Amino acid sequence: MNSIWQRNIIRGLIILALQLLLLKRIDITFGDFNYIHFTIYSIIIVLLPYQMNRSGVVVIGFLLGFIVDIFYDSLGVHAAATTLIAYARYFVLNLISPTEGYNKGGLTASNYGLPWFLTYLSIIVLLHLITLYSIEAFSFVYLKEIILRSVFSFIASIFFITIGTLIFNPKY
Amino acid sequence: MRNIISLFIRYSAFILFLVLECFSFYLIINYNKSQKEIWANSSNLLTGGVNSYVQGVEDFFALQNRNDSLLIENAKLLETIINYRINSKNNNFQEFEDSDSTANYQLIPSRLCSKTINLRNNFMTLCKGSQDSIEVGMGVITENGIAGIVSQVSKDFSTVLMILNSESRTSAKVKSKNYFGNLQWRSDNPLLMTLTDVPKHAEIVIGDTVVTSGFSISFPEDVYIGTIYDYSIQDGSNSYNIDVELATDFSKTDYVYVVSYKLAEQKEQLIDSDE
Repeated sequence: MNSIWQRNIIRGLIILALQLLLLKRIDITFGDFNYIHFTIYSIIIVLLPYQMNRSGVVVIGFLLGFIVDIFYDSLGVHAAATTLIAYARYFVLNLISPTEGYNKGGLTASNYGLPWFLTYLSIIVLLHLITLYSIEAFSFVYLKEIILRSVFSFIASIFFITIGTLIFNPKY
Repeated sequence: MRNIISLFIRYSAFILFLVLECFSFYLIINYNKSQKEIWANSSNLLTGGVNSYVQGVEDFFALQNRNDSLLIENAKLLETIINYRINSKNNNFQEFEDSDSTANYQLIPSRLCSKTINLRNNFMTLCKGSQDSIEVGMGVITENGIAGIVSQVSKDFSTVLMILNSESRTSAKVKSKNYFGNLQWRSDNPLLMTLTDVPKHAEIVIGDTVVTSGFSISFPEDVYIGTIYDYSIQDGSNSYNIDVELATDFSKTDYVYVVSYKLAEQKEQLIDSDE
């Protein structure tokens, strides 16, 4: 149990560092087209152990978002989005629960298969990005921008996370 | 009590979620300038549309009032210009600025109740009469030029003999050269009038401005009428026939100003006694 915690904390810190120090600076712009943003830190919430207390997940989600907000200078935006996916995680997991249940350990591709993991990941990341950019724009006047930004960032982020998953293939 | 606590524990995740979300939004709105502005603006977005529509309807009903007030304002301005021009000719600047006593001309704004422009003898009816101190013989002008002379007055209405009438004679002059003539309507074109009796030796240039002469009691001096469109000399005649293109399109005119001249009676008496 202890090692699972250690793993999660260390992994979380590495991913946060990657997000805040590297991916935040990546700016892919073609003229007016600046809809691609790598936003991968939601993988921390995705990979938290299934057995974890729901309230605990929500609190971690909030703190995670809060830390990201401090670096992104957007106090509250990421916190709100991440809190939402932390809360929604439980329902998503129930929705797509595999027939044999969640008793193989960590919620990873190596335990439950890549298709299941990608489904789970996609739902959470998409939810995260749509919420994030909606709150950032803060008005549905910018619906087109919100959708474009969400879709392109989603593709980029999923691509990034999938490659990471295939390389490291974590068990927990 | 125990139930409440157990309920609380059971839904703790949800409650926590709600509390943290609310806190996040509190942070968003209070610490992000743009979001704060968007919030302030977006709340107007829906109501703004409705409000502007209602305002549009309200404006429509207020149009008549607004028109009237603009008309009165316009009349005041025109009045000032006319009086100023006359005083400046007499070098009476000081007096003009001192008081209104030199304001010999007053304008009474009025709406048109009816008008004709396509007959040989055209009249228009004003929606104001003797009640608004309109009298027979007063001149009627629009923003762009002269329109006619009041020929009949009742309590609430008055009839104007338009310049587009075969009986109408208006004293006018070519502004740059000060040649005087008689302005008549001979054509069927409501935009074209004829200035007669300008002597043959005068130099006429197409495009020159034609204004009122100020000889009659009806119109002040230098009220714009139109520009010279064409001219000719009839065989055996000693004077020009000058076609004047009117500045006023009477088919579009809805509002006019009646010119009330304070010294009209004096001048009239003098002219009468002369005859």
